[in-house]
Amino acid sequence: MTDKAQNDYDQASASDETTAERFSILVCTDGSDESFAALKYAVRIGSGTDADLTLLYIRPMDQGLRMAGLQASLARENMLNWGLELPGTKALRRARDRLVELEWLSVDWEQTITHKSVAGDPLGDNVTTYTSKEGRSIALKLHVATTIAEGILDECERGNYDLTIIAKSEDDDAAGPGHIHPETADRVALEHSGTVLVTRALEESHGHLVCVTDEESSIRAARRDAVIAARCMCPVYLLSVASEEEGRETAARAIAAAKSEIEAAGIRPSGEIIVIGDPITEIVEEGKKYSVIVLSPDASRSRWRRFFSKTTTIEVLKRAHNSVMVVR
Amino acid sequence: MADRNAAKDPRSQTRNPARLNPLVRMGLGSPVQSIKYMQAIPAVRGVGRFMWNRRWFWIAMIIGSIVLQLPPPEGLSSEGLTVLTMSLVAIVLFVTEPIPLPAVALLIVVGQVILLGIDSDVVARSLMSDSVLFILGSLMLAVAVVKQKLDKRIAYFIVRMTGTRTAYICAGISLVSGLLASVIGEHTVAAMMLPVAITLISLTSDNPKDVRKLAAVLLFSISYGCSIAGIGTPSGGARNAIMIGYWKEFFYDPTNPETRRFLVDYVSWVIYCYPIFLIQLPFVTMILLWTFKPEQKNMARAVAKLRRQIKSAGPMQGTDYVAIGVFFCVLVGWIGFSDTLGLGTVAILGAVTFLLIGLVRWEDINSGVNWGVVLLYAAAISLGIQMKDTGAALWVANSFLAVVSPLGIESGVPLWAAVSALTTAVTNTMSNGAAVAVLGPITLKLATAAGESPLLIGYITAISSAFAYLTVIGTPACTIVYSSGYLKTTDFLKVGYRMVIMSTILLILSAWLYWPLVGL
Repeated sequence: MTDKAQNDYDQASASDETTAERFSILVCTDGSDESFAALKYAVRIGSGTDADLTLLYIRPMDQGLRMAGLQASLARENMLNWGLELPGTKALRRARDRLVELEWLSVDWEQTITHKSVAGDPLGDNVTTYTSKEGRSIALKLHVATTIAEGILDECERGNYDLTIIAKSEDDDAAGPGHIHPETADRVALEHSGTVLVTRALEESHGHLVCVTDEESSIRAARRDAVIAARCMCPVYLLSVASEEEGRETAARAIAAAKSEIEAAGIRPSGEIIVIGDPITEIVEEGKKYSVIVLSPDASRSRWRRFFSKTTTIEVLKRAHNSVMVVR
Repeated sequence: MADRNAAKDPRSQTRNPARLNPLVRMGLGSPVQSIKYMQAIPAVRGVGRFMWNRRWFWIAMIIGSIVLQLPPPEGLSSEGLTVLTMSLVAIVLFVTEPIPLPAVALLIVVGQVILLGIDSDVVARSLMSDSVLFILGSLMLAVAVVKQKLDKRIAYFIVRMTGTRTAYICAGISLVSGLLASVIGEHTVAAMMLPVAITLISLTSDNPKDVRKLAAVLLFSISYGCSIAGIGTPSGGARNAIMIGYWKEFFYDPTNPETRRFLVDYVSWVIYCYPIFLIQLPFVTMILLWTFKPEQKNMARAVAKLRRQIKSAGPMQGTDYVAIGVFFCVLVGWIGFSDTLGLGTVAILGAVTFLLIGLVRWEDINSGVNWGVVLLYAAAISLGIQMKDTGAALWVANSFLAVVSPLGIESGVPLWAAVSALTTAVTNTMSNGAAVAVLGPITLKLATAAGESPLLIGYITAISSAFAYLTVIGTPACTIVYSSGYLKTTDFLKVGYRMVIMSTILLILSAWLYWPLVGL
C-alpha cells in the first residue's frame, strides 16, 4: 500500500478537524432487519445538516485451523471472480440503498473509496465515503477484526462518535460471519467509553424513558439524552425507582434535579414517574411502554469486574424487551 | 508513516480537545474532564482487554502449572503426566483460541525440550513425517487446483446432469462435491463449489429471506457432501494421513512381517472406507430436504441463467486439460505408489509439477496456504507420539476402560460406538485433523487394552472425525459455506444431529457387517 493510499485511508477512516463541530453517529450493521431499523432511527436522530453517519460491518479475521490450512481468502476470491458480493458488501449496499430510499443520500454526492490490507488479508479494511455539498458525510466501512466486538470497540474509539447504535437481534434473523450476537451488543454498550444505543424491537414514536438517580453522573446523562432525543423530536420521560417507601423522597429529588438540568438545556420533559420496588424489574416493566430505556453506567467496564458483579445496567441490558441506551 | 499510524491507533488516541460536539457546546461535560478521563482509561482498559482476551491462555497455563506439581497417578510416569498436561493445555488452546494457533505449536515444541528434557534435534526430527509432508503437499495442490478455475466446468456438468428439480440439483451437488472431496480435500471442493451454489441461490431471488431454506439445502449439500466423502480415500483429508502415520509409528515393526498389515496403503483404505461414503450420499439429500423443506421445488429459471453465464466462459482450454491430466497422474501416484513413495511425496511431486508447468505461481501457493497450520499439525503429531512413548496414551486408555466397563462398554459394538461418540464430540470443537492427532494415540492404545483390532478402532476414529456436522468450525467446508452469509449457526445444529445419528449408525453397521467381509 502506498503512503498516499494510507493517508487517504486514514483521512477517511478517522474523524478530522473538519468534522469537529458535527454530530457523528456510528451504526453497526450485520444485514439484519433489526440493524436496518437501527439505521432508520439513526437517520431520524441525525436529521438536519450537522450530522454525519458511519455504517460499520465487521468481518471476523480468518482462522487458519478452521480452514485446515487453506486460506479463506481463496474462497472469497473465487466468489468475486464469479461476480458475487461478499456478505459484508451486500449488507452495506443494502444499507446504502435504504439511505437513498430515506432521501438521506443522493446520487450527486461525491464518492471516495479507500482500502487497506490487514494482516495479509487482501480484502482488508474498506471505506466508501459519500459527501454532500453541504458537508454532510456518510461512510460505509467494512473492517476486519479478531472478533466483532473488538472491531466495533476499536472503531468506536477511533471515530470518537457522539452516538453508537447497535442492533440486538434476538431472533437470530441475520446470518453469516458478521452477525452481531446479543452478547456482542451488550459488551459494546458496557465497554465503550461513549454513548451506546442498543436497539431491540425498536418502535420509534414512544419516547425515551430516562432512569435517574440522585448521582451527578445520572443527572448529566439525563441531560445528554434529552439533547439526543430532541434531535428526533422524541418526548422524554423521567423515571426514578426507590427500593422502599422511605426512598421516595430521594427519588423525587433525583427527578427534580434531572428536570431542572434538562430544562436548562431548553427541553421540557413530558412526564415524571416514581415507582417503588426492585429497580431492575421496575425499569424493565415500565420501559416496555417506551421506545428507549436510558441509563447511565453504574459499573466498571472491566469484563473481569463484570464477571463477578451484577449491576442495574447489565441486568437491564439483558432483560429489557426493548431498546436501551447507555449514556456517557 | 509509522507515527501517523500510531496516532490513529485507538489505544494511543485521546479525545481531541478541539472537537466540540453539540453536547459539549451545550455545556454537557467539560472537555478537560473528558480528556483526563480518556487519557486514564485506555491504558487501563488496554491491559484489561488484553488480559480478558487471553483469559483462556492464563487459565490453561495456571491449570497446567498446578497439574505438573501433583504426584503422578498410579500407573503413570512423571513424563506421562507432563505429556498429558501439555495435551490438556493444547486442547484448551485449540478450542478457545486465545493466542494464534501456530503459537500453540511452538509452545508444544518448546515444552517437549524444556519439560520433557528431549534433545531438540530429536524434537525437530519428530516434526516432519510423511503425514506432515502429505498435509503440506495437499495444501499446495489445493491452491493449484482452485487456481485453475474449473468450477464453471463443474457447475455446467452438474446442471446438465441433474436437470432443474431442486432435489436432483442437491443430490448432484452432494455427489460431485463428494466425488471430488474424496480425493482432493474438502476445503478445495467447498471453495470451488460455493460460487456455484450462491449463484443458483441469488438467481432464484435477490431477497435472502425468500431463499433461506433453498440456500440451506444447497449449501449443506456442499459441506456435508464434502464431509462424508473426506473419509473415502487417504488423500481425502489430513486426518486419514495422520491415522496412517500413527498405525505405522505405533504398531509397525520392520523385524516382524506380521506387522506389515499396519502399513495401510491407498487401495486398502479405499476398500474399507469408500463404500461408507457412497451409502451415506442418498441419506444426505434426504435429511437436508426433510429438515429444510425448500419452497422452490424447481429451479428452471435460475438454472437457465446459470447455463448462460457458464457458456460465456467458452470451451475448455488446453491448460484445463493439462491441469486435469496432472491431477489424474497424482491420483494414479497415490493409488499405485503411496506404499513405496509415501502419500506425502506423491502430493509434493504433484504440487511441484503444477509449478514446473506454470499452471500456478509460487506467490499464489505462498499466499493461499496457511503455513502455521502445517506447523500445528506437525506439533500435534509429535505430541501424539510422545503420548505413546511415555505411556500416557495407554494410561488414559486403561482409565477410560475402567470407567466405561461397568456400563458394559468393554469391547465390540458398544466400544466402537463409545469411540465414535468420543471422537464426534471432540471433532465438533476443533478441526478433524487436530482431533485425530490428539485422540488417535489414545484410541489406538484403547484398542490394544480392550483386545480390539487397532486397525478397526483407528478407522472408526478417523471416520468419526468427519462427523463434525454440528458446528461452523467443525470442518473447513462448514466454515466456507457459513461465510456465504446465508446460514445461521443454529442451522448446523438443526440438521447436524440428524446427520450425526445417520453417519454413526451406518459406520457401526459397516464395521459390524461389511468390514469382516473384506478381511478386517
